[in-house]
Amino acid sequence: MAYAYLFKYIIIGDTGVGKSCLLLQFTDKRFQPVHDLTIGVEFGARMITIDGKQIKLQIWDTAGQESFRSITRSYYRGAAGALLVYDITRRDTFNHLTTWLEDARQHSNSNMVIMLIGNKSDLESRREVKKEEGEAFAREHGLIFMETSAKTASNVEEAFINTAKEIYEKIQEGVFDINNEANGIKIGPQHAATNSTLPGSQGGPQTGGGCC
Amino acid sequence: MFGRSRSWVVGQGKSKNIHSLDHLKYMYHVLTKNTTVTDHNRNLLVETIRSITEILIWGDQNDSSVFDFFLEKNMFAFFLNILRQRSGRYVCVQLLQTLNILFENISHETSLYYLLSNNHVNSIIVHKFDFSDEEIMAYYISFLKTLSLKLNNHTVHFFYNEHTNDFALYTEAIKFFNHPESMVRIAVRTITLNVYKVDNQHMLHYIRDKTAVPYFSNLVWFIGSHVIELDKCVQTDEEHKNRGKLSDLVAEHLDHLHYLNDILIINCEFLNDVLTDHLLNRLFLPLYVYSLVGQEQSEDRKINPQVSLYLLSQVFLIIHYQPLVSALADVILNGDLSMFSVQAEHNAHKSSVSITFAGRSFNKSCTGKTQKRPNYKNVGEEEEEERGGPEEGSEEEKGKGTEVSSKSSRTSGDTEEIEMVVMEKCRISEVPSMTEQNTTDEEKSAAASLADGQPFLDMVYNALDCTTDDYHALFVLCLLYAMSHCKGINQELLQKIQLPVPDQERSSYSQVLVERLIRVMNQAAQPDGKVRLATLELSCLLLKQSVLSSSQCIIKDVHLACLEVSVCGEDIFLDMFEDEYRSMTSKPLNVEYLMMDASILLPPTGTPLTGIDFVKRLPCGDVEKTRRAIRVFFMLRSLSLQLQAEPETQLPLTRPEDLIKTDDVLDLNNSDLIACMVVSKDGTQAQRFLAVDIYQMSLVEPESKRLGWGVVKFAGLLQDMQVSGVEDDSRALNIIIHKPTSNPHAKPLPILQANFVFADHIRCIIAKQRLAKGRIQARKMKMQRIAALLDLPVQPSSEVLGFSQTSSSLSPAAASLPFRFYEQSRRGHADSSAQRSVFDKVPGFAVAHSVSQHGSSPLSSPSPPSSGSGSTGQCDSITTSTPSADEAASVERSVEGPPPTWALAPSLTPASQPSISLLSDPNTDALSVDSLTLLPPADPPSLRTFSTQSSLQDDASLHQPEPDDTDTAPPPESPEGTEHEAEPREDSTCPAEDHTDGLEPAHSTEGVQDDDLSPDSENQHLEATPDEDRGVSDVEESSVD
Repeated sequence: MAYAYLFKYIIIGDTGVGKSCLLLQFTDKRFQPVHDLTIGVEFGARMITIDGKQIKLQIWDTAGQESFRSITRSYYRGAAGALLVYDITRRDTFNHLTTWLEDARQHSNSNMVIMLIGNKSDLESRREVKKEEGEAFAREHGLIFMETSAKTASNVEEAFINTAKEIYEKIQEGVFDINNEANGIKIGPQHAATNSTLPGSQGGPQTGGGCC
Repeated sequence: MFGRSRSWVVGQGKSKNIHSLDHLKYMYHVLTKNTTVTDHNRNLLVETIRSITEILIWGDQNDSSVFDFFLEKNMFAFFLNILRQRSGRYVCVQLLQTLNILFENISHETSLYYLLSNNHVNSIIVHKFDFSDEEIMAYYISFLKTLSLKLNNHTVHFFYNEHTNDFALYTEAIKFFNHPESMVRIAVRTITLNVYKVDNQHMLHYIRDKTAVPYFSNLVWFIGSHVIELDKCVQTDEEHKNRGKLSDLVAEHLDHLHYLNDILIINCEFLNDVLTDHLLNRLFLPLYVYSLVGQEQSEDRKINPQVSLYLLSQVFLIIHYQPLVSALADVILNGDLSMFSVQAEHNAHKSSVSITFAGRSFNKSCTGKTQKRPNYKNVGEEEEEERGGPEEGSEEEKGKGTEVSSKSSRTSGDTEEIEMVVMEKCRISEVPSMTEQNTTDEEKSAAASLADGQPFLDMVYNALDCTTDDYHALFVLCLLYAMSHCKGINQELLQKIQLPVPDQERSSYSQVLVERLIRVMNQAAQPDGKVRLATLELSCLLLKQSVLSSSQCIIKDVHLACLEVSVCGEDIFLDMFEDEYRSMTSKPLNVEYLMMDASILLPPTGTPLTGIDFVKRLPCGDVEKTRRAIRVFFMLRSLSLQLQAEPETQLPLTRPEDLIKTDDVLDLNNSDLIACMVVSKDGTQAQRFLAVDIYQMSLVEPESKRLGWGVVKFAGLLQDMQVSGVEDDSRALNIIIHKPTSNPHAKPLPILQANFVFADHIRCIIAKQRLAKGRIQARKMKMQRIAALLDLPVQPSSEVLGFSQTSSSLSPAAASLPFRFYEQSRRGHADSSAQRSVFDKVPGFAVAHSVSQHGSSPLSSPSPPSSGSGSTGQCDSITTSTPSADEAASVERSVEGPPPTWALAPSLTPASQPSISLLSDPNTDALSVDSLTLLPPADPPSLRTFSTQSSLQDDASLHQPEPDDTDTAPPPESPEGTEHEAEPREDSTCPAEDHTDGLEPAHSTEGVQDDDLSPDSENQHLEATPDEDRGVSDVEESSVD
């Protein structure tokens, strides 16, 4: 349970791009992707380690709540990181990125780290959006970019962890006001690595996601 | 660990396929063997539960027999059994996550019904989890949210039990509505919205009858206490230190409003009734609206009027629910303070007045609730305690007021009674508004006419005055804008006070409003006016809205005349001019976004160090003052043109369609062309011909078909060009052309960055000269056009001088400002004709004069050693492109040294010994010239002074402008000029005076009405005082008890 920081993430993007699968894949790897079974979840938490510090990630999917403006607004504001996901096999999901990004920038705090994710990279044969296009979009808007596959788990880990690293760096630089929980960052109950032995043995199970 | 347990499970399984009925049967077997959770089987159980989920989802998609088996064996009961053993968070979390996954991924309705059928889910919902554990809390609330997303007219029956009047999903969720964790609160809101969305009358009645009053009153109470905190934050702010916290509070308020609006637009009528009543009578009227006029009696004030204006604007921008906003607008526009005071007095004698209103169904329940109010301080922590009363909020707030005076009129300290009074006060205000829904207009206006005046409206109009600052005015404009755009407000209501409604036919407009708007514009047009750009832009918007009726403009000539006076020349500088135009047109004001910005809640500030956007603060320094002046000019010009229905023909100065574009084919016969090799940064080379056009330079290659024609390969604006020599190659020039940016703070992006290698040294020099000359001329042309725009006489006489720094700059920092130097190969001042000043009259910002003395030039540290300075008169100037405003900051101003006779604004005042940097240094190839487009001093006498001083005055200076009466006008009488500026601004005086002169007559005709109103409202405030005092003290007394 002891963590140095807790980061709250949100996942945004069109429906069907695989947001909830990414989330489940990251938080509970025991749900191994099977070709005829798609499983996703709207919330998950997991402990990771950055720079020797235990960091807990809480990921909230906003799917199904788009119709309420108040809800999306608040979600954006409460998050330290956002994964903006599109589907590389569906050009329209890529075209909608601008709208998503505008929304995110409008409602979120200005320090929120946004990672652009081109999901379903396993479906190379059906690819409609080139990797370069994703890279260019990310460069233009100052995002981190990565192509992932929730199916093969490729890059999923990296996507979430790199985002966390970026947030962590911003904390070190003093950009984030960590005492303001509205930013989506929380300081752990004991901000110390001294207890790491005990949580270490139980850490895995306790994340509920079974990250070990 | 898990790996082991899985292999164990799989290894022992009869089937290798984990997605199968057989495997589920095996899992069932495991569960039956492990009914008690121990440390040993914990992992096994968790893995089993997880696998079951997976099989169920697989079954949902592939094999329905899986669900049959699950139901038949009542496997859900095992889950519950495990849960009830207090098996610890590990198991708990896994179970909740399993359920989440299950409910989220099930696609068949029937599977869902199976899962929900035997009430197990409700048992899990009401299970007492350890909510102090943030992880369990998060999974639990996600579980509820997932369930709520599955709600529809059919599934609602699994959750809502009509017979037992039980709706655990909803009632358990709203216990957390004020949970400290924001994500939990958001989830609760989502759940409630998902519930309200289900169109099931029984369920909704249940919600209204059993939960709406406590839930909504709590909600409203919390919003109220939030607002008070926000207000406190504004009040206690020093030096904008509270901005971070303030912006959170503002965002939170916006979240609340959006949430309320989301509920209202679901349009469930009877929920809306309850909510509207609570909002109006317990929040908007008593706290927001009443605070508008409360400021005279400090003990009565609840929140600052500017905060309440700001919040009300947000309300109208966000909420469009007709009954609510109409009632609210009615009170603001027609409301009468006597409603508060008279009734309050009334109450003082008859404490049971509230019975009159008890007929309202929810009123009774409210009163009932408040009798057993809990300790509100704890509501946050003890979510289960749902009863709360917003009365408490107002009471607490009143308690802050330390007025205890007229307590005596009330003897009873009985809580119940007090609360009635407080409620009474709210209710009273509601009388004119709420009844309006059912009564006719006549009644409404009759009620309104009873009032002596419209204190709220008066306050609103009076706050439009920006002589000292526009702190209130901006909010008032926002409020008016928001109200006029709020779809829910009754159109007649707005028309009655002639509040402008967009896109509507009409033949008249509100004189009072229009005059006040024009006054704001006049103030904005003054160089030292305390009007922010956002305020001006909003005034323009509102004015247009007022007087533009669908097709034609109905503004009266007298008003138009007032307006025209205010459109007067200002301090202009070319780069900023174009730059500002771009950024203004690219980013029109969005009132909704403006009202989301907490920074405007704090008193207007001038310093950019706060990070507040330029349009939302006052200008800082001369550069920003100029930027502001330019913007003011654009706005007023566009307004003026639009009102007169004339098209814009002059702006933007550079229109893309007028420019040469890449791949254009040009006739280059008789053009000067210089062959060169263009070596770009990445090393690519191309043979091109350089041609210089009036505004642009272009690189062409010969057209293959027509002799003497060329195809443009690149074209760039001369004004954005930087030319410099190349150190080790006398035949080469380095040329950078920046892209004009719309963001003044963005780093300019080069669109061309290359070395041009010419055939020999001579051609290189020629090219350099041609480019430099073209550059000056291009800028001059534009300046002339700006002059034409501003109706300024073009003064071809004086020479344009590069003028980097004055002997004594106002800001010491200026000395260290970075300049961008431009090289040029100009020798001497052979082409002095090219350097004629365009203006002599545009005052202030850029001052060009022919000065041959610049003894202080060494001071201009950033400028290159001006070796040629001795040979003065060779003032070779080049106007640099300053693509960013920051750079433009390098514009210096001279302060010191104006002869006492002419008091000039700092920016106008020519320095006694200006230093001029631009001097060609024949010794170095690189000759940097920093420069500004400089204009001659506005004041002719000072010019003469210079003329006499300068020994080598260019004969151009002989064509001195006629003394302009504008400039020689006596120092301004405007108090503001003298107050804020040590040296009154000469140039500002005249326009300012003209404005007032122009406006006065108009006022004398229309102003009467105004003046009549104000005393009335004052009287009212006075009258109100004692009554309100009594009310307050009563409350206070009770709260003490």
